[in-house]
Amino acid sequence: MLKINNLHVSIEGKQIIKGLSLSINKGEVHALMGPNGSGKSTLSYVLSGKEGYEIEEGTIEYNGKNLLDLEVDERANAGLFLAFQYPMEIPGVQTSFFLKTAINSKRKFLGMPEIDALEFAKLIKSQAEDLGIGSEMLKRDLNVNYSGGEKKKQEILQMSILKPDMAILDETDSGLDIDALRIVSEGVNKLRSEQNSFLVITHYQRLLNYIKPDFVHIIADGRIVKSGDFSLALELEEKGYEDISKTA
Amino acid sequence: MSTAVKLDMMPSKDISDYAEKVLLNNPFENFKIENYKYAQLHKSITSNVSLDEFKADLSSISSVKNIKLSDTSDIDLLSDLNKWNFNNADSYFRVNSILERSSKKIDLDLFREEIVCLDLSLFKENIHLLKASDSPKTLMINNSNLSEDCARSIILNLSENAKLNIIHYNISNSKSFLYFEINQQNNSNIKFLSFQSNNIHTRNEFFASLEENCSLDLYGLNIHNYGVNDNYSFIQHMKPSSQSREVFKSIVKSGAITNFQGKIYVDSIAQKTDGYQMSRSLILDNESKANNKPELEIYADDVKCSHGSTVSKLNQDQVYYFKSRGIDEEQAIKILQKAFLVETLEAIENTQIKEYSYSLLDSRL
Ligand SMILES: Nc1ncnc2c1ncn2[C@@H]1O[C@H](COP(=O)(O)OP(=O)(O)OP(=O)(O)O)[C@@H](O)[C@H]1O
Ligand SMILES: [Mg+2]
Repeated sequence: MLKINNLHVSIEGKQIIKGLSLSINKGEVHALMGPNGSGKSTLSYVLSGKEGYEIEEGTIEYNGKNLLDLEVDERANAGLFLAFQYPMEIPGVQTSFFLKTAINSKRKFLGMPEIDALEFAKLIKSQAEDLGIGSEMLKRDLNVNYSGGEKKKQEILQMSILKPDMAILDETDSGLDIDALRIVSEGVNKLRSEQNSFLVITHYQRLLNYIKPDFVHIIADGRIVKSGDFSLALELEEKGYEDISKTA
Repeated sequence: MSTAVKLDMMPSKDISDYAEKVLLNNPFENFKIENYKYAQLHKSITSNVSLDEFKADLSSISSVKNIKLSDTSDIDLLSDLNKWNFNNADSYFRVNSILERSSKKIDLDLFREEIVCLDLSLFKENIHLLKASDSPKTLMINNSNLSEDCARSIILNLSENAKLNIIHYNISNSKSFLYFEINQQNNSNIKFLSFQSNNIHTRNEFFASLEENCSLDLYGLNIHNYGVNDNYSFIQHMKPSSQSREVFKSIVKSGAITNFQGKIYVDSIAQKTDGYQMSRSLILDNESKANNKPELEIYADDVKCSHGSTVSKLNQDQVYYFKSRGIDEEQAIKILQKAFLVETLEAIENTQIKEYSYSLLDSRL
């Protein structure tokens, strides 16, 4: 599904990703862990197509296509989704309107007619309820004055209704209380299937207890220094990054 | 060649002397005064710009009473030229309009309809409006498709306890220069929105004088004009406990210039005044420009007055967020423009007019 090979990325002349390779197959859940500033968010931005990043070397293949040829919205419509570490606030745009516009963009891409009002209302209500997002929340401006945890839930709501093939979750667990962490994890597990893949970026094993990853990777200074299964996350919790990197 | 007329002292200076000099010539030539700094009145802006096919079709708003010539009567504003009760202020437009045009009076209380429409293309005169009762609720001012060489006054006197909503469609004019004067007696309320688009050279002046316990909400929506489009406001609080709220939003592109200059004046006896003024501009390209100049002049000590202004470009991180959810750039930019302006349209009370204004905006994004 996603194949990153020897990726080198720089921002304003500063190299951040330094030869990163990672393959994610259909139906797999990969966790990416690593110290602050190691390049996790940078990788997720590059995958989603944000401007300002220079790809100096390497390739990214998505469903057999060159991902780097696609615009940000084309990548999204091709099934790629990034839940942001810091979701943007959009004053003046009602949350439910934003969700509807996003759904309709996807439907347009798929050659489907716009979603009818009733169907949309039903879809949004059930998905929001599952995540403990009240209907008054959907009437508010997108992410404006949302608490940290509410913003993260909003990202998962967007993911739930867009049903991406490949979802990247950038520290979605940070800032969530214990109940929210469980609810968000359930949201992810509900979408999880043999058709969908996940790249879950996190600092904590806690999340991974709920979302059992198939693989765990450790990134340091722009490259993956160690890969393993779930037990690597446990080992990491015990030893910390320094020791793990040494044994790499 | 005419000699330059110094207008700094207007209108307290001898008006007739001024009139003689100015009216012989193009009224906007040789013209210099602080409050008109950005308006570029002396320049011919219209020559190399053509307007878009964008029209305000107010006929889709039903049950509107159109004001006819027979609803008006003559009034002499000239004899009052030297009487003007705005403090430390100038309006060249007022003087120019009164000297250049005759004037008509309209008593709004005579209409029983919810909405009355004043179509400026049907009149050449200045308009003096009176209102004392609750109906009509809304006055629509259709200020479209004009090309005018001198200013025009629209004066509104609101009696005690009277209320009025005003929507000013300032659309597709190549030249339009208006002086609004609003005199509010105790306990009167006004909500005013000026919707401005597809104009080449315009200036709207909003002078308002508030007595006790009044409210004035003044909104400006200015999107995709050409040339130079100027808004000037002067709100004076003359008695205690009144509230004024101004929000001007503009979006500029294609090398246009949009200006907002506004002052809140609070008299020494106007305690408990609550004044708010915000002007915000969104610039979509590198060729366009916005000037914002807010001012306060306060002589009372127990007042709440605030003002602010911003000039910004489209937030690319927000555009990216939309795109990351599959929404294409063009649509994202449209939605963000609308989001920027929406506060002004939300102020409209009449649902028909609100819906029409939204559709007008949608067709202009
Ligand atoms: N726009 C930028 N300009 C300059 N440096 C940047 C920019 N964006 C990121 N960086 C730098 O790139 C490095 C990697 O940042 P990134 O956000 O990818 O880290 P991260 O692994 O996500 O960290 P965290 O765990 O704290 O979220 C950091 O040193 C950061 O300061
Ligand atoms: Mg990060």
